[in-house]
Amino acid sequence: MGDKVSPIAALSPASRAWGEIGERSEHPRWGMVVDQERCIGCWSCAVICKSENDLPLGMWWNRILTEGDALDQPAQARGEALEMHWLPLACQHCENAPCVKVCPVQATYHRDDGLVMQDNDRCIGCRYCMIACPYGVRNFNWGAPVRPTPYETGMVAARPVGTVEKCTLCVHRLAEDQVPSCVWSCPTGARVFGDLNDPEGRVATLIRDREGFALLEEVGTKPAVHYLPPRRRNPL
Amino acid sequence: MSATTMPAAPAAAPVPGRRALALWIGLLLILIAAGVAAFAYQFATGLVVTGMRNTVMWGNYILFFMFFVGLSAGGLIVASAGRLFGVKAFKPITRLAVLEATIAVVLAATFILPDLGRPERLLNIFLFFNPTSPMIWDITIVIVYMGLSAFYVWLYARADLARRGSWLALGTGTSERTLAREERLKSAMAWVALPAAILLHSITAWIFGLQISRGFWYSSIMAPMFITSALVSGMGLVILLALVLRRLGRLRFEDDLVAMLGGLLGTFIAVEAFLVFAEYLTASYPGAPEGAAVARMLVGPYAPLFWFEVGVGLGLPFVVLAIHRLRRDPRAVAAASGVAILGIFVHRLNLVLNGLSYANIQLPPGLPVGVDQGAGTSFATSYWYVPTAVEWLIVAGILAFGALLFTIAVRVLPMQEPEAH
Repeated sequence: MGDKVSPIAALSPASRAWGEIGERSEHPRWGMVVDQERCIGCWSCAVICKSENDLPLGMWWNRILTEGDALDQPAQARGEALEMHWLPLACQHCENAPCVKVCPVQATYHRDDGLVMQDNDRCIGCRYCMIACPYGVRNFNWGAPVRPTPYETGMVAARPVGTVEKCTLCVHRLAEDQVPSCVWSCPTGARVFGDLNDPEGRVATLIRDREGFALLEEVGTKPAVHYLPPRRRNPL
Repeated sequence: MSATTMPAAPAAAPVPGRRALALWIGLLLILIAAGVAAFAYQFATGLVVTGMRNTVMWGNYILFFMFFVGLSAGGLIVASAGRLFGVKAFKPITRLAVLEATIAVVLAATFILPDLGRPERLLNIFLFFNPTSPMIWDITIVIVYMGLSAFYVWLYARADLARRGSWLALGTGTSERTLAREERLKSAMAWVALPAAILLHSITAWIFGLQISRGFWYSSIMAPMFITSALVSGMGLVILLALVLRRLGRLRFEDDLVAMLGGLLGTFIAVEAFLVFAEYLTASYPGAPEGAAVARMLVGPYAPLFWFEVGVGLGLPFVVLAIHRLRRDPRAVAAASGVAILGIFVHRLNLVLNGLSYANIQLPPGLPVGVDQGAGTSFATSYWYVPTAVEWLIVAGILAFGALLFTIAVRVLPMQEPEAH
């Protein structure tokens, strides 16, 4: 992966500045905060992820779950009030990652900065990591990829058939000091990327101040992705 | 001894001629060829030719893998426990049970191959061994156990082979001293084989039972339940094969043994039923979300499979084997063994399907299926897994390979254990 020329170099200084990661501690542990109050369920981040990482049809590293009965029925009666919320879901880059534990060949591993990575040249395709992942964010390359266009849109190399892949938090962008493309593209700024190890950083502050929570906390995975619960004062 | 006991080997036992044997082997070779062709096609195209998807990512191959691990462990537990506790009555079927265990574990190992997306990278398992993965320990015990049980088969056949002057005796003799040493070695082997067999199936259970992400599997009862499932299916298969070999005149034993094995099988079935009940009662009683999978199993789309497991797989053979008169009829015991094996297969199918068919986070639209769905949606919160023809062909090929191994082994190896002195 990552053997393509980055188009980030071609960005205007303003665009580049918009995507910069910013302050961090000496030994950063990358993490993300997703604000459920801001998310409008537009799927922009899911779509740019597909393009950025060259995902074939049928595969999604990042998807938006609707808190409701159906994709297009987010409204839930709560007494007098109605609420609309979404749950954007991709790899949680867990500190206690079940996938890393079970991979028989260490093809799934932790980087020093806490990212859970996948070595597609080593993966034997046993799919045990997909069994172990409580979030269902891993995709298997079942067959020859089908793409909507003959042109390669991805900024990273495509993964081989018969191996598992998932969100990398756009490692290729992190290498150029740019936030993941889902963060960069969110029209409401619902995603904040940063260093969890920096106690005064934006990510840690938001988690503290807004009582951020991790998904499926009870399974003890210690995710790097945190969610901020909605605190809408004026219901719909 | 009962007066109604039939002669061990009926005089009119229909020994199959060369023609029947050639036909049988020809059929097996055709099935193996079809399986190899299907595997080649799957290897070239990817696992997209199976019914598995991101939502149900393990299917037929894993199901047969654990089924055959169970058949193998069950056979060896019966054989080595018989030796360890000095159950003389088991002697006539010891060699058969050990052979069955060996071939079953070879088949189990074979079933891993088609399940891998990149079977050509299999050696990575040894190169990049991850000690925290239950799968690594399962593959390790499968390999160790395969060697152990193959040695066990040879150990039992060795003296007879040496007397025949066969090269398979590997130059060993039949002096008094050798035979006495061999008896000690057999007992020592039973001490190793019994824990190995229990370990083999426990670790297979832990592949599933240690995964907190799958509430349906995450239970300390998984390993004990896998062991009883192994005992039921392994004992059932040994009974069936013993009766077939007796029919073919390759093995001699009294009907008393069948009744005794049938009684044991009935006991194993009762323990299995007890564990199944204890597990699902515990999971569903609190009414917590974790019990949803059990509720779906009892009344959901897969419910007929569960009730088949309970009624036909556990209830029916238990009743047959509990009735004294029926237990003394080898045909009734054979039928009970057959449905008990089928019941254990369906039990394992239920484990896989109910553990995987529903996404963990039941919010729409669910999980990405993983392959192009055309105009349809790429997502699903639940998935109905149906194995494809390719999967069945590969399964049939591997089963035929096992039948071929067994056919050759019972012709080459002396199956009859000398009478107890």
